Amino acid sequence: MIVPAVLAVGLFAIVPLAGMLALSFSDYHLIRGTNWKYGFHNFARLISDQRLLNSIYVMAVLSIFGVAAQVVIGTAVAVGLNKIVGKWRLGRVLFLLPYAVPHVAVALIWLSLFTPTLSPINAFFNLFGITVPAFLTTQNGAMFAIVVADTWTNFPFTMLIILAALQGISTELEEAAALDGATRVNTFIFITLPLLVPALLMVTLFRFIDSLKHFPMIFVITKGGPGRSTQATNFYAYVQTFQNSNVAYGAAIAVFLFVFAAVISFYVARLNQRVSS
Amino acid sequence: MMLVLLGFAALPTLWVLILSLREQSAIFEPIWESPLAITLENFFSISRSDFPRALMNSFITAGGSTALAMLVGVPAGFALAKSRVSGKFIASWILLLLRMAPPVGFVIPLFLLYVNAGLIDTYTGLIVAYMTLTLPLIVWSMWNSFSQVPDELIEAAIMDGASLTKAFLLVALPAARPGAVAAAILGFLISWNDFFYALIISRSSTSTAPVAVMNFISFDSVDWGSIAVASMALTLPILPLMAIANRYIVQTLSGAVKG
Repeated sequence: MIVPAVLAVGLFAIVPLAGMLALSFSDYHLIRGTNWKYGFHNFARLISDQRLLNSIYVMAVLSIFGVAAQVVIGTAVAVGLNKIVGKWRLGRVLFLLPYAVPHVAVALIWLSLFTPTLSPINAFFNLFGITVPAFLTTQNGAMFAIVVADTWTNFPFTMLIILAALQGISTELEEAAALDGATRVNTFIFITLPLLVPALLMVTLFRFIDSLKHFPMIFVITKGGPGRSTQATNFYAYVQTFQNSNVAYGAAIAVFLFVFAAVISFYVARLNQRVSS
Repeated sequence: MMLVLLGFAALPTLWVLILSLREQSAIFEPIWESPLAITLENFFSISRSDFPRALMNSFITAGGSTALAMLVGVPAGFALAKSRVSGKFIASWILLLLRMAPPVGFVIPLFLLYVNAGLIDTYTGLIVAYMTLTLPLIVWSMWNSFSQVPDELIEAAIMDGASLTKAFLLVALPAARPGAVAAAILGFLISWNDFFYALIISRSSTSTAPVAVMNFISFDSVDWGSIAVASMALTLPILPLMAIANRYIVQTLSGAVKG
């Protein structure tokens, strides 16, 4: 039974990855084809590529701010919901709904909310004579828009995991702390939070690795713009491959991103092993 | 505090509902200025467009890739959970890596392969591409489900004269059924939500719903009413699945981490 399993996973995963690796050393161009020149030229080009540098910066900003917002908001909602019992528990559904919306739809919803002529947010502030800035016309504003959309759809995931972890914590400890005169804030910081660390760590890593794959949000909300300023690395590889037809160079960027993900997932896998044993 | 967060979570959904019901001529007016400019026209016009067909394409490709990945992934998960070979850490790392790998790395070689094999814009092409997403996910979560089935149960069945295949089909599989349902749902959802693969591999005849929505954005105008209806059409079919999978998502994603 092991053999077909290995073969299947190999066929569907290892083969494309081997293809990507082979391409990254080639000179394959979608229109010009190839002269069968193999070497490190794509990787040499990577090192001095300003656009790659910018893409890493964008990826870092989107990942760090997005994941931080999702963990903070998800934890806050989980702590709030954990206290709610009775029929109001059904209110959870409202918090979970954004998680069910496919990413393209999420991106389109937030594109509409960030379109000044259409957005009810702009219209609302206009009532008070306040003009909301056009976010999508600057790099920082555009990155902010992507982070908001990403946070909206993904905080329910952190919420679910943290809520599950909270329900595993016995209330006795918190009650004992309260009896000893600890304030609610202190109880949360010194009793609850340390017990949440494994769940928080896991959720942060999962969301972080996922956030390296940003695509639909960028494609729909900013198209990588204004200019080329919000092309995160995954998106930049797409641009090089399918817009500039530079398949070999696109593959080299993908290899770079892949190695990065491999290192992180190695630590995640080791962390799992330690948690389980 | 909770109310602010509830507003953040829920108001965009309400906005989509409003947007879907607005008359074309009133769409750029604030809702409080023309609250009665409401119509069902957007729903009718989308049912006459190509979008329903794209939804059907999404069902076919997501369903197909999930079914095939279950067929291969469930036995694979069983084998990984119950065999006593070394190197399981490597296997778990590889599975994790495959789930975390940037999709652009898969898409480039697949695209070139498909161009040469004539698989661009075919169901087969999309289903195979989605298996690179669904298979690692399903193997991973079935590995987790089967490791929670006690070894004694399977050993007892074999002791009673059952073959390994029989023990798997008649003893282990029924015991891991909730996990299998969850794995299938997660596999379906991940394919249903995909945008990237379909953007590159599908063309007009097999274009899935997430790619087809983009047709409502043309060079000089955006059909916001149709986009709102399409967003709802993309979400509603998977809501029941999300409701079932909800608690398993926590188990497979937090529990699965325990291998």
